[in-house]
Amino acid sequence: MTLLCTLWQQFASSLTILAVTPPSDLPSSPLPLSTSPAAQPLITAHNLSKQFAEVQAVNKLSLTVNAGEVVGLLGPNGAGKTTTLRLLAGLLTPDDGELSIAGVDVRKHPRKARANLGYVSGDTGLYDRLTGRETLRYFARLYGLSKREADARIDALDDQLQLGAVLDRMAGEGSSGMKQKLSIARGMLHDPPVLLLDEVTSSLDVIARRAVLDGVKRYRGSGRAILYSAHTMSEIEELCDRVVMLVHGQVIASGSLVELKTESQQTSIEDAFFYFVAQHNQEHEQVSA
Amino acid sequence: MIVHLVAKEVLSTLRDTRAVLANLLIPLIVLPVVMLGLPLVFGGLFAREAVTVTEVAVSGLEFLPTELRDQLEAEALALIETDDPLEQVDDDLFPLALTVPPDFAAQLANNQAELTLHYKLGNLRSGLAASKVQRAINSFRDTRTRATLDAAGVDAAILTAVRINEQDVSSEAEQRSGMMAWLIPFLMVIWTLSGGQMTAIDATAGEKERGSLETVLVTPVRRRDLVTAKFLATTLFGVSSALMAIVGYFVSSRFLMSGLVSNLMGGSSDAQAMMGMMGGQLSLSPSAFLLLTLSSLVVAMMVAALLICVAMLARSYKEAQSYIAPLGLVMILPVVGLQVADFLTLGLGFYAVPLLNAMLLMTDIIRADANLAAMFVTWGSSLFYCAILLAIANHNFNREDVLFRT
Repeated sequence: MTLLCTLWQQFASSLTILAVTPPSDLPSSPLPLSTSPAAQPLITAHNLSKQFAEVQAVNKLSLTVNAGEVVGLLGPNGAGKTTTLRLLAGLLTPDDGELSIAGVDVRKHPRKARANLGYVSGDTGLYDRLTGRETLRYFARLYGLSKREADARIDALDDQLQLGAVLDRMAGEGSSGMKQKLSIARGMLHDPPVLLLDEVTSSLDVIARRAVLDGVKRYRGSGRAILYSAHTMSEIEELCDRVVMLVHGQVIASGSLVELKTESQQTSIEDAFFYFVAQHNQEHEQVSA
Repeated sequence: MIVHLVAKEVLSTLRDTRAVLANLLIPLIVLPVVMLGLPLVFGGLFAREAVTVTEVAVSGLEFLPTELRDQLEAEALALIETDDPLEQVDDDLFPLALTVPPDFAAQLANNQAELTLHYKLGNLRSGLAASKVQRAINSFRDTRTRATLDAAGVDAAILTAVRINEQDVSSEAEQRSGMMAWLIPFLMVIWTLSGGQMTAIDATAGEKERGSLETVLVTPVRRRDLVTAKFLATTLFGVSSALMAIVGYFVSSRFLMSGLVSNLMGGSSDAQAMMGMMGGQLSLSPSAFLLLTLSSLVVAMMVAALLICVAMLARSYKEAQSYIAPLGLVMILPVVGLQVADFLTLGLGFYAVPLLNAMLLMTDIIRADANLAAMFVTWGSSLFYCAILLAIANHNFNREDVLFRT
């Protein structure tokens, strides 16, 4: 009987269309940034772990991204970059560890934490049968923005990212570059203090990539924290203040570009990456032996 | 919040031409086509065959009595002499062949006469020709019998000494619903499945495949609200399809069947009989219409919850379609139950069997035979199953292995 009651309550609570959740029901709007953002940690992960079946995707990972900083997440395929970003975005639940977004504990207050972040992946995930503007308005409502606020933000993002024709065209009809710009605009729509970018330029041509990188730089300039996962070393060198290198879900090195190059005695971040990977593999083999 | 989520699903489906065609237009025209088409095609066929001269291959034509020959020709049959009647029918040169034995006159004198008809039982044209021949032979036999009785001084009324007076005690609504009344609930249930299918798959497996589900999950929207929105949008299209089928049915039964078909068929009795069988005389009261709509809604809710549950497990649109396809076959099972329902004593327990309950209740409503207890059991049990399925869907929407299966 208790089970029946629980199921019925769940069903009844699902049918809440008559009591439409007002926007005020959403977690508060993105947190205001402090006037001296440089010291404010907006992304914090401590001893984060996640296992899928036999695979340890993330292993005791710790990182911090401060306001106004772009931190690059660098690693080969399967290193755990996407899993880390999904954990931070609250899409996945960690097996262990603590993580917070803009000071909000992601595990305790996932909706509030999600209200403070924008997440963009290389897979644009757009609705083919909605125009760019409809897509952005839809997501703006999901973030609790009023129609007027949404339209103002869409105009601002149009200026910033040069969205142009894609706004009034079906998203499915746009080029890869236009789709990705629209996807990034969706991530920035609610002006979140934290932006998680997962290989957002992987399918873009040179011109579209430049537009996206310029957009990210401008966003960083406004005191936001950006965690930027990428394969392209030149992008990491151009954009990032610090880099976290991952292999098998573990941090093998982290620091500013200069620190990493100095420590590895290499002239480029790509060479530094190979140096740290080789060092990690060597240590791993010694431990195994 | 849910309103925005539902609005997006509805807009997205409405912009899919295939979905609009499959969900709204086809249900609107399928029943009229079936209900109009069958009387028109078969009624027209029967009427035409009745006046069209049909050629019959006859072996032993010279042995056929003139009276019987006249009776056969009166039925619009042209008798063509042939040596091998079986082969003629087998090669489809004639729809039917008749073999008259050489000693037919002698057999007739002994009241032991036998004629052989060769025709293909499964062939409609062959069957119609056979019925013409049988009518002629019966008429010939009756005439002879009456003449024999007259000659013997016996009143021919002895042949019909006992008559059967058949009285149809079914209610007016039952009579009007026709023998095909079961088809209406069946089609309505099928339409709730096919109507909601595209939205359900697009909103679950489709979103996973496109990667758009992930982008919604990172917003502050509650996952429960997402499931509810997808469920409501699927229900909306499921019930819309079913309602379109009802509208199509009413247009055909109220206007087309009574007007168009009757005019086209010139009031042919075959067409009228066919219309009656198809439920063409049906007229529902406003309350029956409302109950039918409510029943469709409840079925659509249960089917929508089932679709969301199943489609959510798939990784892609195609995979979801392959999961859902067998559901269409499963839905045929209650129809088998519906066929034998007249042989069963239907206790309330039958009204708790998913899908069969709705089909039974809808048939009851159409025949103006629904009772309150059956309604409550049908609606209550369907909502209960719906609640269980929604709880499972909610549970699945919180499972990482379901959301991020690749």
